[in-house]
Amino acid sequence: MDETALWWARVRAAGPTKVQPGSRAPRGMARLIEPDASAVWLLPELPEGARPDVLDELGLPAPISDRPNETARVLAVCVRCCWADPAGPLWPGAPAPLEHAAAVFRAITLREDELSDSALTGAVRRLAASGWLLWHPATRTIRLGPRTALWNPLQLSTLRELWRSLPDPQALTVSDSPPDAQ
Amino acid sequence: MEGALDETLESVAAGAAVLRVYRQVFAVLAREAGAMIGDAESIEVDEAILEAFAEAGSEGLTIAQAVAACPRFEAREVERRFGVLRDYGALSKVVERSNELYYRAAFAPYVMLLFLRRIAAQGGQSELHQLLTLEDLGVRSPTATLEDGRASAVRLTKVFRLIANELAILAARSSVETLRENAQLLWGNRSLVPQGEEVHEFVLGRWPQLHRECAALRIAVAAYGDAIERAAGRLAVQAGTTRALGMLPVETWRTFADESDAASLAAVLDGFLFDAPSAWFTPQLLAEAVESARVVAPTRLSPPRPEADPPQPEEAVVAVDDAQELRAIAERLLGDRTQITVAELLDRAGDWASGRRVLAEVTAIHQHADLQFEVVWGDRLRVSADAPVSFVSLGVLRRTDPAGAR
Repeated sequence: MDETALWWARVRAAGPTKVQPGSRAPRGMARLIEPDASAVWLLPELPEGARPDVLDELGLPAPISDRPNETARVLAVCVRCCWADPAGPLWPGAPAPLEHAAAVFRAITLREDELSDSALTGAVRRLAASGWLLWHPATRTIRLGPRTALWNPLQLSTLRELWRSLPDPQALTVSDSPPDAQ
Repeated sequence: MEGALDETLESVAAGAAVLRVYRQVFAVLAREAGAMIGDAESIEVDEAILEAFAEAGSEGLTIAQAVAACPRFEAREVERRFGVLRDYGALSKVVERSNELYYRAAFAPYVMLLFLRRIAAQGGQSELHQLLTLEDLGVRSPTATLEDGRASAVRLTKVFRLIANELAILAARSSVETLRENAQLLWGNRSLVPQGEEVHEFVLGRWPQLHRECAALRIAVAAYGDAIERAAGRLAVQAGTTRALGMLPVETWRTFADESDAASLAAVLDGFLFDAPSAWFTPQLLAEAVESARVVAPTRLSPPRPEADPPQPEEAVVAVDDAQELRAIAERLLGDRTQITVAELLDRAGDWASGRRVLAEVTAIHQHADLQFEVVWGDRLRVSADAPVSFVSLGVLRRTDPAGAR
């Protein structure tokens, strides 16, 4: 069987996979190097017309994921927490504790109760399952996942504006009082 | 007359020959006192005897030799079956004379025994198929006559009716377990229906006079099809909406689900491969989601006041010149005096039309904050019938002293 086809099938069935640094990348896949160079992520790079946003252009229903808006907000919050220097590249990003993300999430939704915490946890799990975040339950830290590296520079500028509009997690967690974001 | 008699005799002879073969065959199935096949062992004894005759060669066997050739069975049993077979013609003397000891066996009973054994073992579907194929060949052969066709049709009708009746009774009355056990009758023999229809068509086409028999055959074939449908429907209802899967009863599935561990339950999905979850996010989506989060938060909307409109329109409406005009009017009305009554002003004005204009001016002068004039009203009325205004309140227009109190 064709090696490339086998790798594509593996990545499709299991999501972005981690391989040894020395291996060859199959055709059409992007290689992302972990910050400590211990492993390499393989991501499929779909051509322009084959991505899920084509469904929006055609007016067809997108593949449904559970609670898309909430998950998108949590991803935005995690980008804010993990992207230390907005002028630089997004990947690999710095690991951030979950409390920072929780503080920013509470600030933007202006809702402070245990529902927002469980919503955050649920969204973090969903994102980790799809490859957008790396979640370490032992240390309760989040890192940006490999799929965030595929955003092109045009999208990154939108992301920088978003970064600037969100509150600073450090400032929020330093003050012990409930955050007053605006 | 003789021809008729010959015909009758021939047919009788033919019938007798058939009867003889049938009797030979059914010797082993004879249900008479002492000769009943009550268990499989009797069949085995018969088979052993006939096998012994096969081994014997062209001489035949005596009773004693037959008993000796079947050592597995008791001598009495062998003798008894020997007698039964002889009574029914399966065994006959080599030469018909008294005191003859040697017997020979007819081959038909043994063949039938073999056939019956095979049917008993396999349920008879293949035999039915073979029967149908044989009938088909029989009616298609060029030498087949009308009588052959009719006989074929009648036989097949009987076969289909028998199967259909049995299946219909099972489907209607029996428990589902019995039906499931006999499900072989259903699944294996579905193809009999088109075969039966073919034979029917061929017979009807070749001998149109047999339309009544063919009608009966057609009805019997259709009845068999219906019985299959009903039985299959009953089994499918029992099995639920699953795809047959051996038609296991519900409790078997539940027991499996209750008592298996996660590994064996997950093994069901072994052959399947699913895509990894892949939600799709673009920074545009993220920005929109964060924006929608901000809008949702304020629960109260401010009332729709035009706070964006400055008081500029009011300023445009208020004419700055008004004060000058009013001052000029007040000076004119007062003249050199410090005060003047409203009644005098009205009298001076003359008719009511200009009087009311004067009143309006006086009121405006009084209302205007910048001008130092005021109107003070009293309680009384001046009543005069012939004045232009009959009733006039007592009011005085006078200057106010800016330093003094009002």
